[in-house]
Amino acid sequence: MMLIRPIAMSDLDDLFKMAESSGVGVTTLPANRELLQARIQLSERSFARQLEPKEANYLFALEDSEHGRIVGVSAIEASVGLRDVWYNYRVCQSVYASKELDVHTTNETLYLTNDLTGCSEVCTLFLDEHYRHSANGRFLSKCRFLFMRDYQDLFDDRVIAEMRGYSDAKGHSLFWESLGRVFFQTEFSRADYMVGTGNKSFIAELMPKYPIYVAFLSEQAQRVIGQVHDNTKPALSMLEQEGFSFSGLVDIFDAGPIVEAMVANVRAVRESSTRQVVVEQEHATDDKQYFLVSNRAFDRFRAALLPARLVRQDTISIPESIALNLQVNTGDTVRVLPLRYQEDN
Amino acid sequence: MMVVRPCRASDLAGVEKVVTQNVARISSVPHNRDKLSERIDHSIRSFAQDASVEGMEFYLFVLEDPETGEIRGTSGIAASAGNGQPFFNYRLDDLIHSSQQLNVHQKVPVLYLSHALTGKTQLSSFAIESGLHGTEAFSLLSRARLLFIKQHREKFGDEVIVELQGVVDENGDSPFWDSLGRHFFAMDYATIEHYQGIKSRSFITEMMPPHPIYVPLLSEAARQVLGQPDSSAEETCRLLYREGFKPGEFVDIFDGGPTLSAPLEQLQTIVNARTKSVKRTESSMGLRYLVSNQSFDEFRCTLGQLTDGIGDTLRLNSQVVSQLGLEDGDEVHYVAV
Repeated sequence: MMLIRPIAMSDLDDLFKMAESSGVGVTTLPANRELLQARIQLSERSFARQLEPKEANYLFALEDSEHGRIVGVSAIEASVGLRDVWYNYRVCQSVYASKELDVHTTNETLYLTNDLTGCSEVCTLFLDEHYRHSANGRFLSKCRFLFMRDYQDLFDDRVIAEMRGYSDAKGHSLFWESLGRVFFQTEFSRADYMVGTGNKSFIAELMPKYPIYVAFLSEQAQRVIGQVHDNTKPALSMLEQEGFSFSGLVDIFDAGPIVEAMVANVRAVRESSTRQVVVEQEHATDDKQYFLVSNRAFDRFRAALLPARLVRQDTISIPESIALNLQVNTGDTVRVLPLRYQEDN
Repeated sequence: MMVVRPCRASDLAGVEKVVTQNVARISSVPHNRDKLSERIDHSIRSFAQDASVEGMEFYLFVLEDPETGEIRGTSGIAASAGNGQPFFNYRLDDLIHSSQQLNVHQKVPVLYLSHALTGKTQLSSFAIESGLHGTEAFSLLSRARLLFIKQHREKFGDEVIVELQGVVDENGDSPFWDSLGRHFFAMDYATIEHYQGIKSRSFITEMMPPHPIYVPLLSEAARQVLGQPDSSAEETCRLLYREGFKPGEFVDIFDGGPTLSAPLEQLQTIVNARTKSVKRTESSMGLRYLVSNQSFDEFRCTLGQLTDGIGDTLRLNSQVVSQLGLEDGDEVHYVAV
């Protein structure tokens, strides 16, 4: 079965392999063993409540229990930009008009901002390509909202997600080629990797501080502002279903959109509910509807998918083996959420 | 011999002809009769020391052929650049973008909108018949202004500026404008230059992008012409350089042409001009000089030969003396061509 749990140091090898295959554009998963080790450590300390809530970064792992390895991750950053500087471009309209000349033009201007500092962020969603089926991606993405629902005090009121920006068939970000390259004089991949390593001072040193008139960028660069990478489209539509919408802000390197929502308004937060557990014998099912079920624990957080017919008015029937993995017994309370909303079908 | 004198109301047709026929593409002189007439009126009131133009005086001179009465050029001085409104330039500055981590160290040129030259003494409105390029008349028309300034020093500031036409291609387009202003104004260079001559300046405040411009984001063609004068301004440019003007950090906001500046007291004409009283002579011997009378509203400047010597008097051909409206014993300003 597929199970979600906090990542552990024993997952380092699996995580490193995944990072190696993730490629450019997944900034938060650099293929660097030491950094990944530090990342796991940070997550372990977060789940152990050894950090201030705002410093926490929770990394969840999707485990294939039959093969005993992790095949995907997703994370929540409690608060962005508190240790370093969180940069975005705000895409603004500027109107130039003169009655005397009888002209009225609209131009877009990019303003460098730190507006999202302090927001919570859902990030680092990655799934092994062999597991990109059976709603695994949906499972990994949504489990975070169940966790946030039960520990809302630990997070900001606002949650954001950075979407990977558009790049062409050769993997080149057209936005970077027109803007970032001029000032950074390096490849997108190198700059992106350096952000992933957590060392951002080069941005302060090299990033243009004055607003950028979009009209000065290449036509291709202008067109991709706010556009996501093809591989990111499913992740974006999933977040849109949860109620996320474009924040008006984009990534400073590849102009990928930042989407945002109030945590309390996220659909998974609003529509999940609690049920009492009844552990029972297993029996085969051909049910196609699934529910996400979390055990509502903090450091022992577990989440699994269960057939919908097991969810009743006030209770949920959980087969023994799954109950074992979820670490729940009859009488415990779990949080449940339909994996798909009605209109998805 | 040609004479430079203050422009009169009756010169309108002549000025219009010079401007439309000889300044084909571009000029700070408007190609519009009403506006020209306004300018001339402004100048007349300035020479009359009318209170309505106090602090914003504009003096327009014409180059006249006294034999035919034909107007063959114009030149002007604005006592206060901007005429009481903001005078726009871009100030070109460098920012150093440096990161050890990425091993990058580069100078990034940035254009800042500036009003710093507002209120400076500005030489402007230079237009001359194309047939007179390369002649002494060119120098006369331009430098007569400096003799005027020297004589009426208290009316002018300590720094003088001149804007040179930026590069324009054979189609009349400015590569700098096409890469910058055009995005915001949505019109071609010829149109904006036309408007600049005839409209109030408030459209600049309304339409110019307010933030600094990173030069590396402009087109290659725009970057190449930044701070470069157009080939049509070559002679003016040479003359001004010899005079002591230097390009500085300021360029035109529309075409990227350079704005030259100099401390008034260091200009060659100012430094070398002398004053002596004249004595008529019938001979015309000696070196060529610019000679002017000392009048304000009846200012005259022309070219003549004279022999400078010891003493307070110099001998000047009587025809030249007459052209300047002088009598024996009157003082003249003179400086070598």
